[in-house]
Amino acid sequence: MSVSFYRTLKNIWRNGLLRSGRQIAYMNDTKSGKLVGEDDFGNKYYETTDEDEIHMRTRWCEYKDFWRFDASHSEPGWHYWLAYGTDTPPNALPKDEIAIRHIAPENHHAINHTFTKGAFIPYNTAKPKFSTWESSVTPRS
Amino acid sequence: MLNQISKSLVFKSNTVSISNSILKNSIRSFSISNIRSGSLTPNTLPTDTPVLSERPLSNVMDYAITSLDKAKDWARKSSFWPATFGLACCAVEMMHASAPRYDQDRLGIIFRASPRQSDIIIVAGTVTNKMAPALRMVYDQMAYPRWVISMGSCANGGGYYHYSYAVVRGVDRVIPVDIYVPGCPPSCEALLYGIFQLQKKMMSDTTGRMWYRSY
Repeated sequence: MSVSFYRTLKNIWRNGLLRSGRQIAYMNDTKSGKLVGEDDFGNKYYETTDEDEIHMRTRWCEYKDFWRFDASHSEPGWHYWLAYGTDTPPNALPKDEIAIRHIAPENHHAINHTFTKGAFIPYNTAKPKFSTWESSVTPRS
Repeated sequence: MLNQISKSLVFKSNTVSISNSILKNSIRSFSISNIRSGSLTPNTLPTDTPVLSERPLSNVMDYAITSLDKAKDWARKSSFWPATFGLACCAVEMMHASAPRYDQDRLGIIFRASPRQSDIIIVAGTVTNKMAPALRMVYDQMAYPRWVISMGSCANGGGYYHYSYAVVRGVDRVIPVDIYVPGCPPSCEALLYGIFQLQKKMMSDTTGRMWYRSY
């Protein structure tokens, strides 16, 4: 049994009113568990080992930006962990397993700016294949 | 011949006058377009006013109507009822959204079988020429306000079948699209991300505020 009044009360007792309210506001559920880590943005990643939790709903992220949170805010490594690709969170990786990129890493990975001022707007750089018709009368010789 | 000469003269005189005005008035506060009105008096046009949608909230009515807008948007995005238009393998990924793992019901998303009951249409898969009129008809039967999610490469731009004689090269040739979800097929996660993006778009709707501010 996953959602019960007892479970909700228990989680509210563990998390406090404010955090529970935030959880209900953005995932319609209360969850309590162990803090696994935090990424560069300040998003917090949690995991619970409670037997009563639904399968594949035991890991979640609490975004730092409460009002405009977006799945693209969570880092790729953490996203892999969230989607149960691995059981080792990125902050617990041994040093020889951390991927080294050949291009210089950026401070933050690129996030999705759609519907903000920073949205990507494509523009055409190719020469147009057709043009508007300009009428001109050929002078009679 | 005469016509051409006069044309070139006009062109030259125009460029001269424009370059003169740029040289003489380094800070130009009026319009120099000569087709705006019949009068020769230059009109002062303020250029630093923000557009209506970006003006800060000013008075009680502005605050009230903006809050009403937000409530309306929240209601719309929280009862997200899509009409499914599954045409190919993308539809299988769309079905995953209603299955227990992604469980769209917890988000208030309910697939409707009738376009008359739905606000959103999810076009999932290849739109063929034969299907295009049917799609347009389904879209036309939807009540306002309505949104469209185009799911997968085929719906976005023809995809794998782009060069087929039987396929519409993108569903946006038939109906206006709000969200394009890339992928072949996009994972269910990608579709849900597209849905969240559309919910964001719904939340940024400011019809009431714009109606108030335009008076």
